[in-house]
Order: sequence, then C-alpha cells, then structure tokens
Amino acid sequence: MYPKLIGALVALGLTATIATAQDYPSKEIQGIIQWGAGGSTDTVMRSVTPHAEDVLGGTVVMQNMTGAVGAIALNHVAGSTADGYTLLMGAENPMLYKVMGLGDKDYGEFIPINILARGTPILVANKDAPYDDYAGLMAYIAENPGEVRIGSTGPGGVPSVVTAMMNTVEGELDLIAVPYDGDGPALTALQGGAIDVMPAVLGAAIEGIRAGNIKPLAVFDLAPNSKLPDVPAVTSFNEAYSTYLPWGPFFGVFVPKGTPDDVVAKLSDAYATGARHPDFVELMDSRGFTLMSISGDEADAFLTKWQQGTAWLLHDAGLTKTSPEEFGIARPGE
Amino acid sequence: METLLAIFTIFTQPQLLLLVGIGTFAGIYIGAIPGLSVTMAVSILISFTFSWDVYPAISLMVGIYMGGVYGGSRTAILLNIPGAPSAIATAMDGYPMAKRGEAGQAIGVTTVMSFFGGFIGILVLALAAPFVSDFALTFQPRDYMLLAILGILLVGSLSSGSLVKGIFAGAFGIAIGSVGRDPLTFTERLTFDLQIMQGGISFIAVMIGMFGVSEALLQLQNVDKVAVRQKISKIVPSFATMRKHLPLSLQTSTIGVIIGALPGTGGDIAALMAYDHAKRVTKNPERPFGEGAMEGLVAPETANNAAVGGAFIPMMTLGIPGDAVTAIMIGALFIHGLNPGPMLMIDQPDMFWFIVGALMTANVFMLIFGLTGIRIFTKIVEMPRSIIIPLIFLLSIVGAYAVNNAISDVYWMLGFGVLGFFMRHYGYPLGPVILGVILSRLLDDNWRRAIISEREDLGRFFEGIITSPLSLTLFTAVILIFVSQTPLWSAAKIRLFGKAST
Repeated sequence: MYPKLIGALVALGLTATIATAQDYPSKEIQGIIQWGAGGSTDTVMRSVTPHAEDVLGGTVVMQNMTGAVGAIALNHVAGSTADGYTLLMGAENPMLYKVMGLGDKDYGEFIPINILARGTPILVANKDAPYDDYAGLMAYIAENPGEVRIGSTGPGGVPSVVTAMMNTVEGELDLIAVPYDGDGPALTALQGGAIDVMPAVLGAAIEGIRAGNIKPLAVFDLAPNSKLPDVPAVTSFNEAYSTYLPWGPFFGVFVPKGTPDDVVAKLSDAYATGARHPDFVELMDSRGFTLMSISGDEADAFLTKWQQGTAWLLHDAGLTKTSPEEFGIARPGE
Repeated sequence: METLLAIFTIFTQPQLLLLVGIGTFAGIYIGAIPGLSVTMAVSILISFTFSWDVYPAISLMVGIYMGGVYGGSRTAILLNIPGAPSAIATAMDGYPMAKRGEAGQAIGVTTVMSFFGGFIGILVLALAAPFVSDFALTFQPRDYMLLAILGILLVGSLSSGSLVKGIFAGAFGIAIGSVGRDPLTFTERLTFDLQIMQGGISFIAVMIGMFGVSEALLQLQNVDKVAVRQKISKIVPSFATMRKHLPLSLQTSTIGVIIGALPGTGGDIAALMAYDHAKRVTKNPERPFGEGAMEGLVAPETANNAAVGGAFIPMMTLGIPGDAVTAIMIGALFIHGLNPGPMLMIDQPDMFWFIVGALMTANVFMLIFGLTGIRIFTKIVEMPRSIIIPLIFLLSIVGAYAVNNAISDVYWMLGFGVLGFFMRHYGYPLGPVILGVILSRLLDDNWRRAIISEREDLGRFFEGIITSPLSLTLFTAVILIFVSQTPLWSAAKIRLFGKAST
C-alpha cells in the first residue's frame, strides 16, 4: 500500500520534470541491475554504461537489485514512470518467468534499448574425469547410469536449458542434477569434484580451461569458438542439436513501454555507441561473449524467437509450471 | 625476486599510499554504520574508478574492505548495534564493557587484535595461498553442511540462561532464513502468498532490528538514568595483555583464515565460530562471557580480519571469490582488462604481490586510524539517553533502508525490533536468532546438495562421510561438541556460572 502511495507521489513529482526529450537527460538516470555485484550481468553493464554516459552527456547511477531470480528488479522498473530515467539492466531470465511461474511480467512490457551480447554455453568436466569429449561422456553415462553428477543453477538457468536440450536430442539421460546458486559456485564445485560435468557460459569457464583445472567437452554452438578453437562444436557429435542452436544467455538494457520515442532513440544511440567502444569490444571478446548490440524491431524479433525456442524446450522436458500456450507463446516454426 | 618487489609498489607511489589510507578511513566509517556495507561501497567504486588505472582502483577497494571489516566493531561496542554482520559476536562482550565505562579499552583491544588477525591473514595469503586454496576446494557439500551443523551447535554458547530458549531462538532464526523463494528450486516457502515475503527477509534488517531497535526500546524504560562515565586512561592494551591472549588469537586467526578462504563462508561465520572457540578453551576468564570478557573481543575480531586475507586466497589463486567483496573485486579486475583466474598468478604475479602489499598497508592504516580518535567516540556513550535513543532509531532506519533501497526492509526492521524487545524481556537470547539466519542457507542448501548427489540415499551419504578424512573429522567434532552440551553438562555449567554472575 505505502510503496504504491510513495510511487504515486514520486510520479507526481516527476511529471513536472518531464519536459521534452530535447533536454533529456536533465537529471540522474537510475540503472537497475537485475543481478548481484560481480556477476556477468553486473560486469557487462558496469563496463558499457560509462561509454554510453559519454554520448548521453548524463549520469547513470547503477544499483544492484537482486532477489527472486531478478523479478524484483523487473517489477520495480516496470512500475516506474516511463520517462527514460529508470533503466532495467538484465539478462535472459525474465523471458521464462511466466512459464516457470516466477512472475506475470517479462520483457514484453519493455522496449529493448540494446541487447548487448550473447553468451555461448560450453560443457565442461572435472579434469580427472574418465572421458575427454562429448562422445566419451555419452558412452560413460550409458555404462554408468545414475552416476554422473551434473551441475545446475535451478530451473530456467543456462544449465537447465542445456540439459533439457541434451535430454531431447540424446533421449532421456540418467544424470544427477545438483543445484548451485550460480555458475561461479557450480564451477568451484566442479573443480573440487563435488560435481562431474557442468554446462556453463564460456566466459565463466575459460580461465579454468586455460589453466587446465577443468576439461572442455563440447561447445554448444554450430561451430567451434574462436577463443577455444580446439574444442569441437556439439553439432560435430550430433547433428540434431542444430535445431536448437545457436542459443545462449544474453544481456540487455530495457525501458518500460510508453517511454517517449525520442528518449528511446537517444538511449539506443548512446548504448549502441558505447557497445562499439574498443574497451568494451575487447572485454566481450576476452570473456567469450558474442557482441550483438541490436535494438528496435531486430531486438524484438530476437526476444520473441528466444522465448519461443527456450520455453517450449523446457516445457517438453517437463520443467515448466504452465504451458507456453497459456501465454500465447507460439511453438517455434508454427 | 623482481615480482616480489611489487609488494613495495605501494610505497614508491605516494598516490597509491594515499588512496589506501583514504579507503581505510572511509571503510571504518562505512563499516560502523549498520546497513552501509563494504560490499555496497566496493560495488559503487567499480563505476567510480572505471576510468582509473587498475592499481589505484584496487588500492582504494582494498582499503575500504580492510577498514570496513574492522569498523563494524565500533557501533557494536558503543551502541550494541553491529555495524556489519561480522561484528555480531563483538557486541556480545564489547557492549557490556562499554556499559562498565570501559569502551575505550574495548576499542583499543579490538583495534590491536583486528590488526593482529589481519596480519596473520595476509601472512597466510602471502606464504601459503596455493596450499590453502587446494584445501578449500576439497570441501564437498556434505562438509559445508557439517560445518553449518557445527555452527548451529554454537547456540549453546551464545545463549546465556535457558538452553531451551536458546534452541527456540536458533530454530526461529533458521525459519526466518528460509522465507522466500528457495534458491535451488525457486519454490515459495513460508511466504503465505504475500508479495512482501517473496524476496525473503533481509538478514541485515533482522540484525539491525534485533540489536539496534530493541536496545533503544529497552533503554527507553530508564531514559533518565545517567550514562556511565568512560575511563579513557588505558586505551592501548599493555604488552602483558597482548602476550596473555597470544595463543588464543593465533588459534582464532587460523579459524578466520580457513573460514574466510572457503567460498561461501565469510567473516560473520568466522567471528561467531571463533567466539565459541574462545568460550570453550578459556578456562578462567576474568569476567564471565557475555559480561565483558576480554577474550570475547579478542576472538571474533582476530577472526574476522584474518578472514579478509583468507578471502583473497581463492580469489588470487583460482579466480574464485572467497566472499561477496572479493566477488566484486574479481568483476573489477575483469573490467580493468585482467583475467582473474588460475592463470593470474602465472601471467601477472605482480598483481598478487601488489595486493599483498596493499592489504598490509591498509592493515597498518587501520591500526593508526583505529587508535586515534577513540576519546571522541567514547563520548557517544556518555551522551544523554534522550539524544542517543533517537539517534539509534535514525541510524537503524537509514541502515535498513540503505541495504536494498526498500521501504519494506524498514518495516521488517522495526517489526523485528519490537519482537526483539519482547524476546529480551522474557529472557530469549537474540544471538542464536541471528546465528540461525546466517546459517540457514548454508545448512539447507548443502544438505540438499549432499543428499541429491547421493541419489537421496542415506546409506551412501554416510559412507561418503566415513570414507573422507575431512568429513570424518568434522563429523567427529560435531558429535564431541554435541555430547559436551548434553543437559547434564550444561546444567552443571549454568549452575556454576549462574552463581558467579548474580
């Protein structure tokens, strides 16, 4: 009750300050980061935003608002005034809130300012594992059903989608899925031997691979990654994966629907320029992210396609709470 | 040898030295204000120092981290509000000392002991980092679970008076900790379908309410009571005092380094475990624990500052954060174009030695800033209650709001404050509630991870415990401590101490 009241008061105060976009930004912009400090989303946003600020000629104050898989931040920004002074800096998760029963809003309520980059999943194993590639792992699972522990980060996370993909393509695999708080803790557990394999984002695993602390099995993409050219693409073991790939988590900046077009244009331009900055390009490259920097219709199309493919994949694997159909998410290709 | 010289980089560049100093000074005050956390400060600094070089940025962060961990003890001693979770144990004996007019002495001991603990932590980081990080990696989910059980058993030593009330308080804390979406499956637990409960209850809000507001409410009952005059003659502890506590501080520093180096546990758990350890090994404290025992300050303060060095161990050797602050620093290194990970020590050994040097410098600054200005600080306790009580309320509200910028946290904080007030009135100890909240996730998540890993088979689970030397050691410790707390033994203890204290 009270937060709403305060929100209304603040909104009242703001309407007075919304003039034209000519003088946007005339005050500090709030950037709400959906995930905790130090994580991938945080790193990406904190490294691109200063370059965007230079173009905007204003300040973006970034703040981490965590909880409920990012839904708290999303609801916060969705409830703010659509004037371009509150940005949502998020990852892919909201596109699955509805089917996973985590919330009733997703990026459908927002305008994408810029979808900055996409990550590539990679399947990695403990360095002492008795298999060296994807085919070896499959053979090992067949011989030792129910023995291999695979790391997960909860329903809807990257590992759960990759595991669902594996189950769909290879037929039901007898694995033990052990849940962790994020890919960082799961990769730590992998090195300590608490889990055997882990589908992680390439950027999070790359340093461990370089040091030989963890063993790469396959890149979940159509072709090997330039960062790890020796690791084969999973499609080279099983062509059937190409139906679902390329797939990966992504990062983007969003504003609530209803934000004035000229403000959206100004922000989109600022972030597009920021994403071209050599420092940012280099950071994305060194962490193994694929730079996208798309906005407008292109970004909308990307989001729709991503949501359709992923939601139905999870639904077919029996991991969703509600069928995507309920929310009008069409099955891909229909 | 040349890389080793990087340890002195900081002294060759006055600008870096200055930044570490500023950081430490700011850290002490950020740490002292409940709700303003080091984690928050460091994450703000990432944007702030974006365009700087990596050395100055890291210098400032290291300073804030070191100062902040220490700063939490200030308000814990003076106002009974721990400025940071790692200072909870400090309040238990520090505040009683302030009530006796020994706030100056308490701060003095705390400062020197924090310096000592910090020093041991850095020493271990410098000399044995790869070894300790290998050891930390061997901790399996079941070991974390056993560690959490070991922590839960501290309830006995944190509750003065009725053990039953202590157990109730601890269980209540565990329940508070499990409210919200379960992090492993995202299922709602104990939320009663209320929107406000979904995100869980902020642990900091509970802590500030239980300690700060309930303390203020309690003091309201005798507003007119004249504050105790503070003795400020002997602030720096004598050499004899230091020597007397040397064995204990070495033990508790070791606890701090190891708990700090474990990914997933930090200074808060280290300090509580050290406090419990002190209570166990100190045969004849000058004063009973909970009434101003010096050992009750020495243990948590050495441990939480030793945990700082500890937290850097997995960060520098493996790129794995030892706690929330090091997690952000890893992000900062990325942004500055470094690749923190196992190769960092090989590719850029200078960075490692530079951080060791910066930590060492921050530790010295902490000692200097900590020991100066104590006189002014102790005046806080001498202020009339009609001024200090509103001040506590103000500080608590600002602190609770600052954690997530959420007004709902303020309501939680006030609610728990009132609850804490009644709990104190009826003799329920508050320490175990906080302990329960801290350990709730550690226990819950790791128990489930452990049993899921064994295909939910208890037989295989125990087989795992018995065949692993580490698990077996922890398991034996749990059993031994549990037995030592059987009703017979604790009844005897209560009778013995109960007489001494009344």
